[in-house]
Amino acid sequence: MSTQTTDVPRKSRFKISKRALPYVLSLPALLVCIGILIPFFTAVAYSLQRYRLSQPWAREYNWGANYLNFMTDPSFWNTLKVSMTYAFLTVGIELVLGLGIALLLQQRSRLNNFVSIMLLMPLMTAPALASLMWKLMTNPGFGILSYWATLLGIEDMKWASDPSTAMLTVVIVDVWVYTPFIMILLLAGLRSLPRQPFEAAELDRVPRLFVLWRITLPMLMPFLLTAVLFRVIESIQQFDIIYAMTQGGPGNTLTVFQVEAYLNFFQSTNIGRSAALLMILWVITYILSTIFIKNWLRLRERARGDA
Amino acid sequence: MQQKSTLEQILRGVALACVIFFFMFPIFWILLMSFQTNETILRVPPSMVFEPTLTNYRSLISGTLEGSTATLEIKFMGNLWNSLFLSVTSVTVGLILGVPAAYAFAKLKFRGSEDIAFTLLSFRFAPPLLVLLPLTIYFQQLGLADTYFGLIWVYQLIVLPLILWIVRGYFEDIPSDIEYAYRIAGHGFWTTFRKIALPLAGPGIAAAGLLAFIFAWNNFIFALVLASADKQPVTVGALAFITAAGINYGQIAAGIMLSIAPTFALALYAQRYLVEGLSLGAVKG
Amino acid sequence: MSLKLAGITKAFKKEIVLQDVSLDVETGKTLVLFGPSGAGKTVLLRLIAGVIEPDAGTIQIAGRDMEGVEPEDRDVGMAFQNFALFPHMSAEDNIASPLTAQRQSQSEIKSGIQALAKLLKIEHVLGHKPKELSNGQKQRTALARALAGKPGSLLLDDPLRNVDAKLRFEMRLELPRLLKDQNATVIYVTQDYKEAMAFGDQIAVIHEGQVQQIGTPEEIYLTPATTEIARLFGDPVINLMDVAPEARGRMVSVSVSDQPIMLDPGYAEMVGQECVLGVRPEAFRFVEPNSPSAIPVQVETEAPLNEKTVTLVLTAGGREVMVTRPSGTPGPNGGTAHITIDSAATLLFDRASGRLCVPKATIAGEAIA
Repeated sequence: MSTQTTDVPRKSRFKISKRALPYVLSLPALLVCIGILIPFFTAVAYSLQRYRLSQPWAREYNWGANYLNFMTDPSFWNTLKVSMTYAFLTVGIELVLGLGIALLLQQRSRLNNFVSIMLLMPLMTAPALASLMWKLMTNPGFGILSYWATLLGIEDMKWASDPSTAMLTVVIVDVWVYTPFIMILLLAGLRSLPRQPFEAAELDRVPRLFVLWRITLPMLMPFLLTAVLFRVIESIQQFDIIYAMTQGGPGNTLTVFQVEAYLNFFQSTNIGRSAALLMILWVITYILSTIFIKNWLRLRERARGDA
Repeated sequence: MQQKSTLEQILRGVALACVIFFFMFPIFWILLMSFQTNETILRVPPSMVFEPTLTNYRSLISGTLEGSTATLEIKFMGNLWNSLFLSVTSVTVGLILGVPAAYAFAKLKFRGSEDIAFTLLSFRFAPPLLVLLPLTIYFQQLGLADTYFGLIWVYQLIVLPLILWIVRGYFEDIPSDIEYAYRIAGHGFWTTFRKIALPLAGPGIAAAGLLAFIFAWNNFIFALVLASADKQPVTVGALAFITAAGINYGQIAAGIMLSIAPTFALALYAQRYLVEGLSLGAVKG
Repeated sequence: MSLKLAGITKAFKKEIVLQDVSLDVETGKTLVLFGPSGAGKTVLLRLIAGVIEPDAGTIQIAGRDMEGVEPEDRDVGMAFQNFALFPHMSAEDNIASPLTAQRQSQSEIKSGIQALAKLLKIEHVLGHKPKELSNGQKQRTALARALAGKPGSLLLDDPLRNVDAKLRFEMRLELPRLLKDQNATVIYVTQDYKEAMAFGDQIAVIHEGQVQQIGTPEEIYLTPATTEIARLFGDPVINLMDVAPEARGRMVSVSVSDQPIMLDPGYAEMVGQECVLGVRPEAFRFVEPNSPSAIPVQVETEAPLNEKTVTLVLTAGGREVMVTRPSGTPGPNGGTAHITIDSAATLLFDRASGRLCVPKATIAGEAIA
């Protein structure tokens, strides 16, 4: 008779009950993230305090005062306006350009695939470094763009150092970096559309503009929405490009939310105001991202279904 | 196929050329600059004709800039090393933490799993400074300020949601029957995870890792807030570079080229997965 | 390894897939689970294999309760309908997977695989990856993998479903022998009644998550518990006719096309009830026009089916009836013909419930579901 009966499980090492298993697998990741959640609540607390590093003795809860002050604070309204303008301009231009390029590259051909891969390069450039590249090109002394401006008769174009052209300059950099993002998303969307409606339209000799407007765009809608929301959420929080280019200047021409909060925190050390600004930004992005996630989920379902 | 008119062909060609020019020219121009001395860079009008030189790269790599007035020490290679170290370690940590969690979310639906997965995803969309600013104060208190450990931890904010959501999709694509078959054949959960789930999700894990690397490498704000000079990656380091006295523009250009080359190479290598990764798994390329 | 299920219930998101299922299979016997797709057969196999857990009920394998026992410790082998081969492993490694789990030596594994591969005629493709295999080869590899570990119980989920007709025919001949050699307790899932009849020591008919009837193949065929089961077993399908039994002296009769059919007197209590008469196509016979109780019919079409010839006829009342006869025997000469019913071979069902009526005192078989 053998000493081992079949009733004893062969290996009892590493047996974790089925119920606990998912938690064991996901807990490490969750713990790491919880460590990040704590600062979030701290930020909420800061936003409700009068808290300046320069006056530690005066630190106290003033509850909604930081938020109330915003109502009458022109620099807050400036921040809001600049952020919105930036998001609107960048996403608007990127959408039009991205859609146009995607339509241009829609046919699968060797050239189109090559071009679409090349266009990924700006997207793979760190935004901060992209700013640096454009800074070199817009240098009033030797920048190639400044030189071209003079050829066009615009003398002494100061680009990011001039309040009237600073926004234009950072928007160009943003467009350069992120248009490819919208482009490849829409290109993937276009190429995933069913063919039949287009073949039918072609047989019926439906004008191509009409096809674009009434068939392509509506069918592309989920992709458009996802791409645009994704970009709006990121654009309204843009920091890297603007900070690397001008640090919010000249003056307060480019003090978008995160740049303003950064400057408040590290330069004027007004931590309460900085936190309150970020909370407002968070609310905006939170609303946008809930809409976004719903859309995104639907797309994801679809992509998985096709697989 | 509808017959395309010649005019349309021409217009398409012109449009395509403009697109390529706008998106490629900056990279091309900076690449040219990186092979020039200050003298040729500062010429007016700018010209593409010059004698290429490798001195910019040489001095960046050796770490000393022979200026006209004095010899300048620069730590560009240190920044490059920091970028590499931070990105590689963050991605490794992210994969170790994220892959099992992705599996749990994909295959072992448990109570609250969807909510947790979405909370993790929403980190991706929250303003980073909201977390970073209080964290600077905590890190001071915990002694994590200006440590690689602290940075790698915070980098999980970018790396984890990406890995989690891409890899989750790949795990979901594995038919459960295949895993069941291996279990029934007599293998335990962990062996099955190692021998079936991991290899079959392998391409996804690789893609997520590469993309996470690119995002970590390109990150700017985390290191700007939390790292001092000796821990800074290239994104932050290069910025300080431009204000350094006595520097050559060619050297800045060379620095930029060296900083973007790794992500370009990876992107080319992993381009099949880029669409999926950039959309966090919502769209397949 | 005997296998015993008691009161198994399983629901997915409030949708009940299995309800109070109890089964008992003796060591070395084959039980066929038969039923239409979506009946819950596959779920039942998964419950036995331990990859999902029942909401209620117990599963015993070899007398041991399986609650909390992981799939790898249940000593079962399973062949999946979709094969579920490991796509990144060669056929050989697929088949070897139960053997490596048992920590057999390399040489043991090699010889074990060779023997099985020879038996299943896949020696020449052992080095191939699943995607390089034909469906038939995949199916054999999956089967070999299930058999390789010499498990006490074998769960076969419609293994012949996704293979071509020729291979299915061959496997129908080979598989029973193969299973006998294994000496394992087998649960075999199928939607094909011929497979069920050929393989099963017992057949359990499952419909909508419940066991409708358990019995030997003969019992299921001769005394199907419901019209539904009667319809599923048999090709061509059984003829079902609405009838109302009447008393005729001591006998009970029903009328089909105005011809009285005498039934067993044990059906007395069904008199006056709405019923369904089930007549297998082979229970009809073509007869001369002047034969007693001959029913005149119109011949519609005729087609051969294996060793039988199937004739579709139309009664005067416009009812379609399928009649079979052994091929080669004389049949109707087109146009009109006459048929009679072998009344001993008829089945009577209650129309409302669809259940088989069993004549009193002459209970046939043991199949009371």
